Amino acid sequence: MARQPDDKAAAKFPASDSALIRELALLLDETSLTEIEIERAGLRVRVARNISIAASIPASVPAPGVAPASSASASAVPPTDLAMHPGAVPSPMVGTAYWASEPGAKPFIEVGTKVSVGQTLLIIEAMKTMNQIPSPRAGTITQILVEDGQPVEFGEPLVIIE
Amino acid sequence: MFDKILIANRGEIALRILRACKELGIASVAVHSTADADAMHVRLADESVCIGPPPSKDSYLNVPALLAACEITGADAVHPGYGFLSENARFAEILADHNLHFIGPKAEHIRLMGDKIEAKKTAKRLGIPVVPGSDGAVGPNDDGMAIARSIGFPVLVKAASGGGGRGMKVAQGPDDLMLALSTAANEAKSAFGDASVYLEKYLQKPRHIEIQVLGDGRGGAIHLGERDCSLQRRHQKVWEEGPSPALDAAARARIGTTVAKAMQQMKYLGVGTVEFLYEDGEFYFIEMNTRIQVEHPVTEMITGIDLVLEQIRIAAGGDLPMTQDEVTISGHAIECRVNAENPVTFRPSPGKILKYHPPGGLGVRIDSAVYQGYVIPPYYDSLVGKLIVQGKTRVECLMRLRRALDEMVVDGIETTLPLFRALVREADIIDGDYHIHWLEQYLAGQPQS
Repeated sequence: MARQPDDKAAAKFPASDSALIRELALLLDETSLTEIEIERAGLRVRVARNISIAASIPASVPAPGVAPASSASASAVPPTDLAMHPGAVPSPMVGTAYWASEPGAKPFIEVGTKVSVGQTLLIIEAMKTMNQIPSPRAGTITQILVEDGQPVEFGEPLVIIE
Repeated sequence: MFDKILIANRGEIALRILRACKELGIASVAVHSTADADAMHVRLADESVCIGPPPSKDSYLNVPALLAACEITGADAVHPGYGFLSENARFAEILADHNLHFIGPKAEHIRLMGDKIEAKKTAKRLGIPVVPGSDGAVGPNDDGMAIARSIGFPVLVKAASGGGGRGMKVAQGPDDLMLALSTAANEAKSAFGDASVYLEKYLQKPRHIEIQVLGDGRGGAIHLGERDCSLQRRHQKVWEEGPSPALDAAARARIGTTVAKAMQQMKYLGVGTVEFLYEDGEFYFIEMNTRIQVEHPVTEMITGIDLVLEQIRIAAGGDLPMTQDEVTISGHAIECRVNAENPVTFRPSPGKILKYHPPGGLGVRIDSAVYQGYVIPPYYDSLVGKLIVQGKTRVECLMRLRRALDEMVVDGIETTLPLFRALVREADIIDGDYHIHWLEQYLAGQPQS
């Protein structure tokens, strides 16, 4: 799910173009986004991670005006590919993911943790109910793909177990 | 006004709602099943949330997932579209419990009109003419035969919790009645969870004429004229037009005023459609739909009113866009529902649209979410899109429709476009001389390839 930087974040970007690009690049590194595009006062900037071949968008966009999805990079593995990873655990529901049972408590897992079938990986909260997400298989956590408190959608990869 | 609307639907109506949100400057959230990840409205919305796997019950009907999606996106209103949860009073109440706005009528009116027996009683009470029938449900202990005789055969057995053309059985004469009653009750039980049935006089050659209404929820309500939806196959509308070729200004004013008054008394909120069968100059109420309807563009074209936009504005507390005197019906409009079905057998034809070219020009509108390369999923309805055409007169409209149908290309799947190309050239259609059985009779007489 692509996310746009919210208005509060955009407001604190400096006026000069290069500083803006630097900020966006930093934001890319800090988050799991593949690309960020913002448009303001006649200036549009797009910063993307390792795009090798740009999707060819014809100058006259076809009537529905639907831009084809940007092609994922060939070298680095962007998050969108991780949903296809054989070890990916997809979210079974919509909600907000938390690493621990409550704020300040120890996270259920970290990278390197060995988990067994049924072991709690994360909590996903929806409408004030906390749902423990069980591991579907045994293995080792190699990647945690969601931030603490990040909204998740159905099918979104949460962790990689190998 | 709302800050962010979550569109709890899919396909062309989700795109329609999205367009209204964009034009009102309201942020939009598209929720979708995994099968609809590439839907046009999902791409165009400000945010999207995947809410479940393809089956509707796990996605578009999944209330917890919808609520969670509202929560994580901060949406403050939900537009339910048509079908799915649009006429689910409980859903409207649940949203209210969570301080979310339901863009639609009051839950009590949804509930009232959802029960077809209660709806009929209410209509009667409000002075709307109804089809002669049993006074309420006909149960196993009632003397169905006596009731049917007093109505007069043939009679129609209808499910109380049905609607939309489903759950109905005809009994031509006394010999058919008992079987019709038990079959209808069994089907109703399995389809709607409620075996209650009632009886109505079966009209021989009525037209289906419905009145579009708009209410502000505070006692103000206007009618926006009628749509003639007589051309149906298996009770599903196929071709709708407005104004009806069968009504004159006097009949229109008469029924419109009756309906508007009833909506004012009810303090109805939002859009709604009151449906009638019309025969021999008489109107007979059959049901009311408390939602935006598929064929709403017909009314939009001839009144110039954006109904979805008005839905949103009124749900946010706004006033009606105009008084009854200011409503003008100008010209004629026809809508064709193009389905992904074989035009002769009507077998569904989901799959990839290899070539798509919509028609254009003055007075031509396409409400469709498909595009070249789009794959129509097999899990939902088969609507490819709606072609709506407008003209200054019905004749001009028909010529324009003929031209637009000939221009339109949808390749890679089978569609019902050939059916419409044939219909627009049929004498009865050109004359406007048809009724609710006309299309099925026409199809039965066609060579089956």
